[in-house]
Amino acid sequence: MASNDYKSLPVTVEKPIPVTYDLGNLSVFDSNVLDRNDFDSSNAKREEHLRNLTRDNAQLLINQLLSLPIKSTTDAAGGTSGQSSTMSLLRLPEPMSELPREKPLPKPKAPTKWEKFAAKKGIKAKEKSGKMVFDEASGEWVPKWGYKGANKKLDDQWLVEVDDKVENTDKELIDPRTLNRQERMKLIKKNERQQKKNSRNA
Amino acid sequence: MIRTVKPKNARAKRALEKKEAKIVENVKQALFIPGQTSNKVLHDVMVDLSSLKKPNMKRFNKKNNIRPFEDASNLEFLSEKNDCSLMVLSSSSKKRKNNLTFIRTFGYKIYDMIELQIAENFKLLSDFRKETFTVGLKPMMIFQGSAFDTDPVFMHVKSLFMDFFRGEVTTLQDVSGLQHIISVTIAGDYQDGEPLPNVLFRVYKLKTYRSEQGGRKLPRVELNETGPRLDFKIGRIQTPTPDMVKEAMKRPKQLDIKMKKNVELDSMGDKFGRIHMGKQELQNLQTRKMKGLKSKFDQTGADESDNEIANDDDDDESFVTADDIEPATKKQKH
Repeated sequence: MASNDYKSLPVTVEKPIPVTYDLGNLSVFDSNVLDRNDFDSSNAKREEHLRNLTRDNAQLLINQLLSLPIKSTTDAAGGTSGQSSTMSLLRLPEPMSELPREKPLPKPKAPTKWEKFAAKKGIKAKEKSGKMVFDEASGEWVPKWGYKGANKKLDDQWLVEVDDKVENTDKELIDPRTLNRQERMKLIKKNERQQKKNSRNA
Repeated sequence: MIRTVKPKNARAKRALEKKEAKIVENVKQALFIPGQTSNKVLHDVMVDLSSLKKPNMKRFNKKNNIRPFEDASNLEFLSEKNDCSLMVLSSSSKKRKNNLTFIRTFGYKIYDMIELQIAENFKLLSDFRKETFTVGLKPMMIFQGSAFDTDPVFMHVKSLFMDFFRGEVTTLQDVSGLQHIISVTIAGDYQDGEPLPNVLFRVYKLKTYRSEQGGRKLPRVELNETGPRLDFKIGRIQTPTPDMVKEAMKRPKQLDIKMKKNVELDSMGDKFGRIHMGKQELQNLQTRKMKGLKSKFDQTGADESDNEIANDDDDDESFVTADDIEPATKKQKH
């Protein structure tokens, strides 16, 4: 048939029972009566009948889909060709049919030991103060820790004051510079231990 | 269970993250497995079905000795290994000729299974020799038959085919992407106690013509069959346990649209908001500050007021500025 022949054909379909749609899944459900003889495998007109039935429902579905709100974009979806062409996109509603999920819902991350404690005590998270601090001596902003961090200040001093606590004890001769570094390493180890423990508990 | 170790590099980590359970899930992947008794017909049908599901599918070439209704542990293993939650297993026997078992999994455990046997009058994609559908497009689906809403077996079939072919869930659909239609029809209505009618699976390509009656907007729709054409006879069924259904149908809370308090839409689509104000204390309202209204000028006694007026006069006489004029005019109003 030439395309002119279709001009006079109707675009609407009448059904005794109105069909239901699930436009989010581009689906239509027709619960009208189906005659068993129409679909008998001995029936010569079986496929034709089936196609006409499907055509009617397809027409209904297309009519519904094209009356949805349309969003036009000037950019192609891929955008690799560099050509700008208009695309008209239909705004689909949420799918209505309930279909099983593929996997169970993701479980929320287990709270760490500290988070549990903080919740019990009502401790709020400290506001972030940023990584950089102002070094008055040099007049520059330096990171609190890490490369050239402010916590390594003591390490490269040529003269370090001896703490009052260790004065005149057997610890007096230990270099305070190495002590400072050891303390930092201890803190890192402790934090790693806590992390491991939390991930084991989760 | 497949042994999983902590990923050692970023690529492995990404691959594992892709497999993880998510709030918005990936498209379900399909796995096509030839059974031990598979044959040429089943192979061809599986090729056709997989081409409908492309690119979200994997197809095995070697035969696997799996009997899903006896021992499903192999299937669960394959599901986890390939991260596929839809599986199709082919087998053929004297009792169940040309049989496809459609299996769905939930969390790598068997969710439900249904056997669909292909009747003799099938036609493959290659038998039609017409234009086919484009790979990866979202199909439109048409379910015809009242039993799809009432009979649990057909509800299973409907849910299965929708799950299988619906592809990506989107809110935006390209109009030019509406190209092919999958139609699933029950072969006639039936009474209780009668054997279940076959399920007719057809795929059509959509043709639209400009119509005078539809105007510019609505076209006249015509269909061309592209195949595969399959008539399914329903065989054995395994339904999911109620616990599993409950778990699988859960909707994530994060996706629910939160109702905003005190914001309403009326029938015209206009937005209305209600706001609650504190009580207005007019006594303590801060008005314009003026020199003349200072508390030290308050007229509490008669003798004081005389002095004040005298003061004001003095001011006026010594020098006149804009600031001074204003309080004077305000005072007259009082």
